[in-house]
Amino acid sequence: MIPILSFSEIIELILKVLIFPGLAFPLLFAMIVIWFERKFLARIMLRIGPLHVGPLNRTGLFQPIADFLKLIQKEIIVPDNAYKILYNAAPIIASIVASMSVAFIPYAPKPDGGYWMIYYTPWSLLVILAIFTARPFIMVGAGWASNSKYCTLGAIRAALQLLAYEVPIALSLVSIVIMSRTFDLAKIVEAQSSIWFIILQPIGFIVILIAMMAELSRRPFDIPLAEQEVVFGWPTEYTGTQFALVMVSEYFDLCAVTSLITVLFLGGWSGPAIPILNDVSPILSGVFWFLLKMAILTVIIIMGRGIYPRLRIDQLLDAGWTLLIPLAIIQIIITLFTAQWWIPLLGGV
Amino acid sequence: MTSMEEKVVESIKTRFPEDIIEAKVQRKNRVSISVRSDKIYDVGLFLRDELGFNHITSVSGVDYIDTKEFEVIYNVWAIDGKVLVSLRTKIPRDNPTLKSLIKVWEGAFYHERETWEMFGIKFEGHPNLSLLLLPEDWDGPPPLRKDFLLPDTPQEKLEEKIKRAGGQ
Amino acid sequence: MSIMKLSMGPQHPITGHFRFILDVDGDLVLKLEPDIGYTHRGIEKLAEKRTYLQNLPLIERVNSYCDSVGTMLGYLEAIEELMGLEVPERAKYLRVIAAELNRIASHLYAACLFSVATGLETMLMWPINDRELILDLLEKLTGQRITYTYPTIGGVRFDMSEGFKEEALKRLDYLEKRTEDYYKMLLWNHTFQIRAKNVGILKPSDAIRLGIVGPNLRASGVKADVRKDEPYEVYDRFDFSIPTGKNGDSYDRLEVRFKEVEQSINILRQAIKDIPKGPIKKWAPPIVPKGEVYTRVEAARGEFGYYIVADGTMKPYRLKMSPPSFRNLIALPYLCRNVPLADVPVIYISLDLIPMDVDR
Repeated sequence: MIPILSFSEIIELILKVLIFPGLAFPLLFAMIVIWFERKFLARIMLRIGPLHVGPLNRTGLFQPIADFLKLIQKEIIVPDNAYKILYNAAPIIASIVASMSVAFIPYAPKPDGGYWMIYYTPWSLLVILAIFTARPFIMVGAGWASNSKYCTLGAIRAALQLLAYEVPIALSLVSIVIMSRTFDLAKIVEAQSSIWFIILQPIGFIVILIAMMAELSRRPFDIPLAEQEVVFGWPTEYTGTQFALVMVSEYFDLCAVTSLITVLFLGGWSGPAIPILNDVSPILSGVFWFLLKMAILTVIIIMGRGIYPRLRIDQLLDAGWTLLIPLAIIQIIITLFTAQWWIPLLGGV
Repeated sequence: MTSMEEKVVESIKTRFPEDIIEAKVQRKNRVSISVRSDKIYDVGLFLRDELGFNHITSVSGVDYIDTKEFEVIYNVWAIDGKVLVSLRTKIPRDNPTLKSLIKVWEGAFYHERETWEMFGIKFEGHPNLSLLLLPEDWDGPPPLRKDFLLPDTPQEKLEEKIKRAGGQ
Repeated sequence: MSIMKLSMGPQHPITGHFRFILDVDGDLVLKLEPDIGYTHRGIEKLAEKRTYLQNLPLIERVNSYCDSVGTMLGYLEAIEELMGLEVPERAKYLRVIAAELNRIASHLYAACLFSVATGLETMLMWPINDRELILDLLEKLTGQRITYTYPTIGGVRFDMSEGFKEEALKRLDYLEKRTEDYYKMLLWNHTFQIRAKNVGILKPSDAIRLGIVGPNLRASGVKADVRKDEPYEVYDRFDFSIPTGKNGDSYDRLEVRFKEVEQSINILRQAIKDIPKGPIKKWAPPIVPKGEVYTRVEAARGEFGYYIVADGTMKPYRLKMSPPSFRNLIALPYLCRNVPLADVPVIYISLDLIPMDVDR
């Protein structure tokens, strides 16, 4: 049965789907993060970075847009030997899957009850986990469909790395679920209203941050895309718009991952109300805190590229199986033994 | 007390009295030994094992087109003795074959391969004599031979012109 | 999994103008075969057509963008030995100064490439930035940044300009301080260490057997440096040591280069202090007397050998170069057997092979 929506509900839905946290937000996030990453890394490397494009002098603020416009004008080259359907579909599926998870993340509470999110389900954590698990299949599919040696090597690496790092992520989510006793992300945030899970579960936070960096193939874990070894990994053969989609989907993923960690460990929207924003709408105040936490996480994740060399695939897998998984299990055990004291202190449940 | 250079010349002369065409001290740290081409392997082995010439520095060919000979020169340095020996041999230009010395000095692998492609000198026992620096589709003569002529440079063209005009 | 033939290069982010033909099994490289010659310019043949003086800029092009003076010194040594020409004292010192500045620039460049091979782009930009200071200094000395053909037969072309000494000492002080940052950022970086240590171990006996030269040989623990063994120019007057490594792995090869930069700074300070007054160039006849000669110099990448046969004309009868990278090339297939694919760039860059130097 299709629920009958009132006019204001339709407006709200359109706002959610098209502006925030729907279509426009990940795109804007990608644009700002690409710009920030280039400028920030340039500063670390004693360079200047993008300079001329854009409104403000010497910032190059619109450089990502210029790059994107350049890319969509390029010819789309499909290799002769490629399996064409999968090859052409993979970038589109990748960007769709990457942007899908933001639909299930609560960004702020509404004053009249309910949450500012596109689709509410009490199983949102599991849904997001399932969406993340789909990513390696796209990469392997695209790498195989390209029928190129470097793509194949990159796809194998991606499969090894992503599948290995699903496990510590799932395990550190277990301790969150034990603590909050729900799969509902909104309830998890509400449980953190008095004390954030990063304080109660520091080991779990570190495990999930490292594992997510590996999931996102950020340096020092950018092994599937290692330029010096496999040229560009599984998307090597993509050109033009398809390449732009692959690039953008990476940043969509970054957006989803930082949102998820914010929800799980950093208390989501919780924070003191900002008077000016609160006057307009209490939602804005929550969103402000949410974005601030996301930004801090993004900077931490990006910083790896400035200071670390890349690991080797065997070292990475070693670290995953022998370090992160035991740590996550230790976190579960600690949580099991201490949960009885902490749960009464948590709010909302 | 004899110096290292003289010692090398002495011992090589006593060990191979028949096969050494010439052995002399060129200057400090330099010894030149000229051998018959069929004995170069034995002399090389002797130099490496008995006299400590262990570090190959270069293998070069020289095309003496007037006497119809190639000269192949192995320059080998002794890390402990601090002497460089130039082991040289002459081979006929119409049948340039020589026993490969990569069993003696393994580092000569690429040097010999280069000498083969630049001079056409066949090294018997070399596992991989294929084109190294030249393009894959090269089918001309070995380029460092003296009968492989480069086009004239502008200066040479000028000299030729002056000569033809009867000037200096 | 079956064996896959993988062609790495010549259009690949790390190989430069090389092509490696790899036999890959999964992520394991079973065999590497270098395919060189993409920058072969036939300098040995061209040199036979040109006079000794015309050959100077040609020979500089063997390895112009890193180590121009180190490349040319061997050639000049050979000609001067054939002529019996004694170069003025001041010119010898100026040659040493230029050669050591080149060595620093070259080693910094090697460090840049090394960090790129492991994926640390920050350490690409930092040494490149500081290499610029050295290039500026060389510009002040020679008038050009990269291809300056500074030393010439019988001396050098220009005297050092006003204020060069003070500027040089200032920049060397800065560079010495800056090296500490490199150690913190690269050599003491734990992630870098686990990438570079125990990768591509070259034992001293193998290094000698294969004829490896330069910092790569010294990193294996063999104390061999032409500057000490056969001092040319005025290297016997300076007090400096030869740094050697212990394990002969990629990490040691980089560390030896950094230590050599420190020694070069040391030599430069002494040379700038001791440089005598006098002429900088002696007239040399264009015709080189008949004879043949083999000279060795220690260029930045290792020992550079020149074998020249002169037939008493203005042009060399045969000019054979034995550049260090060509001699180090054999270590690459030797070390890249049964290594992970990710180690191939590390081993390749740690040997500091420059395609132009290999191909001539």
